[in-house]
Amino acid sequence: MNWDIRDDECSEFGQAAAYVLRALESHEADSYEEHLHGCPLCTAEVSRLQPVVDALPSTLPHLSAATELSARVMASVRSEAQLLRAAGASADRPERERVPRRPRRPEFLVAAVALGVGLLIGAMAIGTGSKVASPRVTSAIASAPAGAHAIVHESAGRAELVVTGIAQPPAGKIYEVWLAHAGGAPRATNALFGVTRGGNASVSVPGNIAGVHQVLVTAEPLGGSTHPTSTPIIVATLPS
Amino acid sequence: MSRGKPDLERSPAKLRALADEELMELVCRNHANAFEIVLERHVDAAFSLAYRMVGRRALAEDVVQEALLSLWRTGARYDRSRGSVRNWVLGITHHRAVDALRRDGVRTSKDVSDDGLGERLEAAERTDREVLRRDEANEVRVALDGLPSEQVQVIELAYFGGFTHTEIAGMLELPVGTVKGRMRLGLEKLRTRMHPREALT
Repeated sequence: MNWDIRDDECSEFGQAAAYVLRALESHEADSYEEHLHGCPLCTAEVSRLQPVVDALPSTLPHLSAATELSARVMASVRSEAQLLRAAGASADRPERERVPRRPRRPEFLVAAVALGVGLLIGAMAIGTGSKVASPRVTSAIASAPAGAHAIVHESAGRAELVVTGIAQPPAGKIYEVWLAHAGGAPRATNALFGVTRGGNASVSVPGNIAGVHQVLVTAEPLGGSTHPTSTPIIVATLPS
Repeated sequence: MSRGKPDLERSPAKLRALADEELMELVCRNHANAFEIVLERHVDAAFSLAYRMVGRRALAEDVVQEALLSLWRTGARYDRSRGSVRNWVLGITHHRAVDALRRDGVRTSKDVSDDGLGERLEAAERTDREVLRRDEANEVRVALDGLPSEQVQVIELAYFGGFTHTEIAGMLELPVGTVKGRMRLGLEKLRTRMHPREALT
């Protein structure tokens, strides 16, 4: 293929290989994705190269995943399936199919979570028989129709909050993590975060999580707040 | 819901007879048993990729767990015209592993494998499908072996190492443009070798 001509036609053409290898810096990847919407040349190049990258994992030695891993995933999946069935038609997957790739407006999310909030908690102590000590995984899953989810991974008193499918914070706002002990008001933390284009984020929850009853997330003015100024969009209740 | 109740009575044996794409249609309707079959088929490949990338078993398991749950929750977005379920699973796993590498700086210790499980966990080739995949893998390996080593190097650092092109340029003390050029040439050559007829068109 004559790349020089392609490069003349589109100055971004040379980014395609690094993009499919996920080797662009995140801001470059974001702007290249924007570019792809309007550039058939680059879109075709990405489609041409993607299968090559997709084939790379096939060259790896084939390892077997631990059965505990599958069991852990299926425990969460079955809990969520049950919850979605219990929530009825309005919370069912076809709703998600209508969800555009871009996250929903925050107001909708707040409303959805405040409404039903199937908040489902599952905790498993795992790995007793395995070679490697596995972290205790605490799942706190908000199965609201808006498609937002949160999981708290907990290990040795430290916790990480992983959120998926949540909207960008409103303009001029940032998400803030709060910790609440049983019966107590939420305490501010210094964990402030935004989310990726896909609505994902992984956040280390500061301090020791022992004794914490709930991990909450609210949208706050940049720099954070000392008291919540909006309704939590995520409320993850940890098993006591 | 408009598409009828999920077929919750369907037996595992019947589900196993379905293709991945058919299972995904059930997954979209919250069919946990269908998801379990998808998981069984691809969890080893996802773990193999995650382990190669992050180098630590516990972290690789976390990555795969996140990826599979994401697959379950976003199953409705699966579009069969854009590739196989296996590639979709591996794409999500790769994404999560890169996030973990860039987030945690785990690379500093990943060279020290926690248990050298590579040999011991080599799985048996159980099915014809696995044998077919092994054949495809050989084809890709042969294609990779035929590339100039500097092109393989940047592709591996990027894809399996999770490094960005600027990080790779820094490591190899090369201009960024050279790194990107090698990525591009390398992928293009791989493509030609993997699909010789198609590449001519």
